Amino acid sequence: MKKVLMGNHAVAYGVLLARVGVISAYPITPQTTIVEKLSDLCARGELNAKLIDVESEHSAMAGCIGASAAGVRTFTATSSQGLALMHELLHWAAGARLPIVMANVNRAMGPPWNIWTDQNDSLSQRDTGWMQFYCESNQEVLDTVIQAFKISEKVLLPSMILLDGFFLSHTSEPVDIPDQEKVDSYLPEYKPKYKLDVKFPLSFGNLTDENYYYELRYKMQEAMEKAKNIATEVDAEFLSTFGRSYGIVESYRCDNADLITVTSGTISSTTRVVIDKLRDKGKKIGMLKIKMFRPFPVEDVRMALENAKKVAVIDRNISFGNGGIFCQEVKSAMYNTGNHIPVFGYIAGLGGRDVTPMVIEDIIDFTMRHDRPGDDIHWVGLKI
Amino acid sequence: MPYLAVSLANTEANLTGNWRSVRPVYKNKVPPCKNACPAGEDIPLYLALISKKRFKEAWKRIIESNPFPGVCGRVCYHPCERECLRGKFDKEISIHSIERLAADYAHSHSRKDNKKRQRKGQGKKGKKVAIIGAGPAGLTCAYFLSKMGYRVIIFEASSATGGMLRQGIPEYRLPKKILDKEIEYILDLGIKVKNNTRIGTDIDIEDIRRNYNAIFIATGAHKNRKLLIPGEDNSHRIIPGLDFLKGQNSGHNKETGERVAIIGGGNTAIDIARSVLRQGTKPMLIYRRSREEMPAIEEEIHQAENEGIIFHYLTSPTDIIMDEEGKKINLGCIRMKQGEPDKTGRRAPAAIKGSNFIIEADSMISAIGEDPDLSFLPADIKTNKMGILIDANNATTLEGVFAGGDAAGEPRSVISAIGSGKRGAYSIDRYLKGVKSEEISKPSIVQYEDLNLDYFEKGKWNEPLKLSVEDRINDYKEVNKGFSAEMGITEASRCFSCGICNMCDNCLIFCPDITVVRKKKGYEINYDYCKGCLICVEECPRSAMTSIEEIK
Amino acid sequence: MRAGNNTLTFSILFSIFSEMIEIRIHGRGGQGAFTASNLLASALFKEEKHVQSFPSFNAERRGAPTAAFIRIDDSIIRLRCEVYTPDHLIVLDPTLFTIVDVTHGLKDGGWIIINSDKRPDDFPSFTKFKVATVDANSIAVKHHLGSHTAPIVNTAILGAFSKITGIVGIDAVLAVVEESIPLKKGENVAAARETYEKVNTTED
Repeated sequence: MKKVLMGNHAVAYGVLLARVGVISAYPITPQTTIVEKLSDLCARGELNAKLIDVESEHSAMAGCIGASAAGVRTFTATSSQGLALMHELLHWAAGARLPIVMANVNRAMGPPWNIWTDQNDSLSQRDTGWMQFYCESNQEVLDTVIQAFKISEKVLLPSMILLDGFFLSHTSEPVDIPDQEKVDSYLPEYKPKYKLDVKFPLSFGNLTDENYYYELRYKMQEAMEKAKNIATEVDAEFLSTFGRSYGIVESYRCDNADLITVTSGTISSTTRVVIDKLRDKGKKIGMLKIKMFRPFPVEDVRMALENAKKVAVIDRNISFGNGGIFCQEVKSAMYNTGNHIPVFGYIAGLGGRDVTPMVIEDIIDFTMRHDRPGDDIHWVGLKI
Repeated sequence: MPYLAVSLANTEANLTGNWRSVRPVYKNKVPPCKNACPAGEDIPLYLALISKKRFKEAWKRIIESNPFPGVCGRVCYHPCERECLRGKFDKEISIHSIERLAADYAHSHSRKDNKKRQRKGQGKKGKKVAIIGAGPAGLTCAYFLSKMGYRVIIFEASSATGGMLRQGIPEYRLPKKILDKEIEYILDLGIKVKNNTRIGTDIDIEDIRRNYNAIFIATGAHKNRKLLIPGEDNSHRIIPGLDFLKGQNSGHNKETGERVAIIGGGNTAIDIARSVLRQGTKPMLIYRRSREEMPAIEEEIHQAENEGIIFHYLTSPTDIIMDEEGKKINLGCIRMKQGEPDKTGRRAPAAIKGSNFIIEADSMISAIGEDPDLSFLPADIKTNKMGILIDANNATTLEGVFAGGDAAGEPRSVISAIGSGKRGAYSIDRYLKGVKSEEISKPSIVQYEDLNLDYFEKGKWNEPLKLSVEDRINDYKEVNKGFSAEMGITEASRCFSCGICNMCDNCLIFCPDITVVRKKKGYEINYDYCKGCLICVEECPRSAMTSIEEIK
Repeated sequence: MRAGNNTLTFSILFSIFSEMIEIRIHGRGGQGAFTASNLLASALFKEEKHVQSFPSFNAERRGAPTAAFIRIDDSIIRLRCEVYTPDHLIVLDPTLFTIVDVTHGLKDGGWIIINSDKRPDDFPSFTKFKVATVDANSIAVKHHLGSHTAPIVNTAILGAFSKITGIVGIDAVLAVVEESIPLKKGENVAAARETYEKVNTTED
């Protein structure tokens, strides 16, 4: 069934279809309408889930950890400062190997106070052991919620689905809502090997000294590595079931490309428009969209970029003291290949600054006109 | 550009008040208790003072609206308590017991310093007002007029002051020394009383009109209503109720014999029954309706029952036959049933045919009500069935003559008489100043739904103390003992203070824009910055903040 | 890198969006401009158009100027940025003209559909644009939508939009209003139908 839905409601429908059992969340702009919609669905009896209203995001994640540890499919949603407040428990959820799925509406961190989109909130949680999936349309958001449960429950690591504040969260567009029966066959019931059960008491999160902590960390990394293939398989199965797929990365019109732009989130979507136009004019420019940021799909990125002459990474984020975070990751992936393609790093769209086709045009134009990047960071449209 | 997000002007430049579509208004409302009180006592204000142990100030606050707190704390039927919103929450506040506590405290701690202070202003306005009748209505009217600076004289037919308070209420309910104290306080303002001066007999009303600028008639209702049954006038053993009480209150008990039948269901009937009980007799009370419909104060009925008085409900006397010696009464009665409700909602009793029976008694006292005796009035002061015809300002049909209390058909209660006297005083003042009375807009009264009950805890309340039945039925000791100081303080602390700000600071604490400013008395809202979020209205426990549509 | 070579990009922009229609709805917080944009998007989706609608990304407050946007195209809409050069405007409150540059970026020849009891000729300053007016306030109040002081016109005005622009059919508009509005469905439908019939244009 196709419906005109805003991104936040697409999240909620994904949760509905995934038959989530516990939702523990706290509202924050621009995430609020996710929780409102879920609350509405629960109240109408359409979603048979326990909705836990908590007093902070820290408690929201604590609630998710408890529910997930008890073997229930669990979901939460947050944004920006709310995600930052969860930080301690994000480590906990991943370390406890709980397949919690979260939607984070990307919103800039304050101060200065800002409710608009950028990726610094989620990228600050890069090293917590959560998988991260950046989406570019409401359809992708809905589909990725369903996929994420499947991936998480296979590798036993939590997932974070990222959607740009307002540009997706509050924008309505047609979305195909899959049939429940199909989703049920695609996403079977979650049955963990170990769970909190009063009939079979076990101990979790025990003190583990250096004899085993190290090995358990190895197992987490191993799971992350495995997740790349599993995510690809899960996406392929999604294609055969629902007729749509996204890939963990996507090369868009990269054949014989002289320049490949690397993007994520809604910037990918707008970039497609620009690429189409430039290709029509005969310019050899393509785009690599990175959907899965953690684990970072190193092999896929290497393969996608290996024949490019130049790479332009557009980052809607910044690691202060270094530069764009996607740019760092791309450079790092390329280094050991010995294929030292010039990688241009651009910072754009922070705090909701609009990334229009004009901005992307400017980036492409600048990259084409220069042989080497010169500076490691390029700011686009800086008014200073 | 600065290195951080900073405005080089402070946020005062941003007048966020222009965002408002509704505005909060800081305004006290009328609490339902005050609205119900005919004297308009500022109840929450004096309860607040009591809760802070400021008894004397509480008393001073009460006597600004009612000079008889000691009396009303004892005998008022306290309509205020019926409206107390705490009643819907857990239990209404025993306002009368606190009022009594304040008065008793003030009387036992008085320094007699008011005489000089108050007399200074006496007569300043140079105008003279005559008051006819020294009952609660007359004394109250005199009190307020005197405080306003008028010269006041009271003409009183009897040898004492207090009217029905003295003559009609037994000692065990209202000790004379309490009444004396309060009347003394009133008269100390410089009010003259001419006792034993009956209008129409001892002095002519036209004379008074000539010598005084205004008159307030408050002669009360002293004419016993008749039963209008055969045999009513045949014996001295058939006693009019008010005569009985007057006799008893002046130390001349009437001989009743052992079995006393009292007819009626009002406070007078109960007072008589309980008084004759204290004379060692066996009273029985005969009332033609049911207990629920008795106009007497519930507490009084309850105490009478405990004291062993026999009640014959739904019973009506039909005739009286004396025995041959003239000592024994055979009171013919008939059983009644409740009929259909009449216009006022009260169910009219109807006799059950053939249910006649006889009650034997040694005497009978009828207490079915009193009417004013207005035979002294000149023809141009018009009357109706209820009494003297008055308008909303207590003015009679004769220029400069006002009336109030029972004589003017006001509801038969002490507090109504006091309210009537007070209203009369203010009307006379306006009349003498030549000012027209203002149209009073309907006050906005706090409703239960207006309160934020989250701020109140349900809790314990105090029951006023009283003597046990054994300790009280053998003499005329005061039955009710009211509250100890401690009990009064805790009871007063239970007040919601409906509509009356008590500076709890909630509005100030909760305002997200720091626009509520605490002043010496109350708060001010800075409308330059108030965004109209109305959190202050929501968080005010007592509805002293109201929202109105934004003034455009 | 400074904001760069905009001459090149403008030419690209124009050709890119040649088939896409963009509409901006002006209103005040609480008037339901965003709801109107969503209804319009749903109606167009019913006619198998690709659509996108979104509010102005600002903290909204009651009574303050606000806006909402709709993009319409025959193929999938990939563009995810704000609307700068709308093709047409809907103005829910004519008093906004005094406080907002309502026609900012409006393409020449575009329609301005105004909720006003005045005639289109009473708005002579918009020489480059076409003006249509409809007294949606009175129509809404007549159909018991809101009060005289706060009429609800966001559904009603869509009838006028349908008639004037022809971008969306009135049947689709009425069907979406019927499906999506939880209360007073009949009244909302009747109001939209009436603005469809009563809208005035400069071309009358």
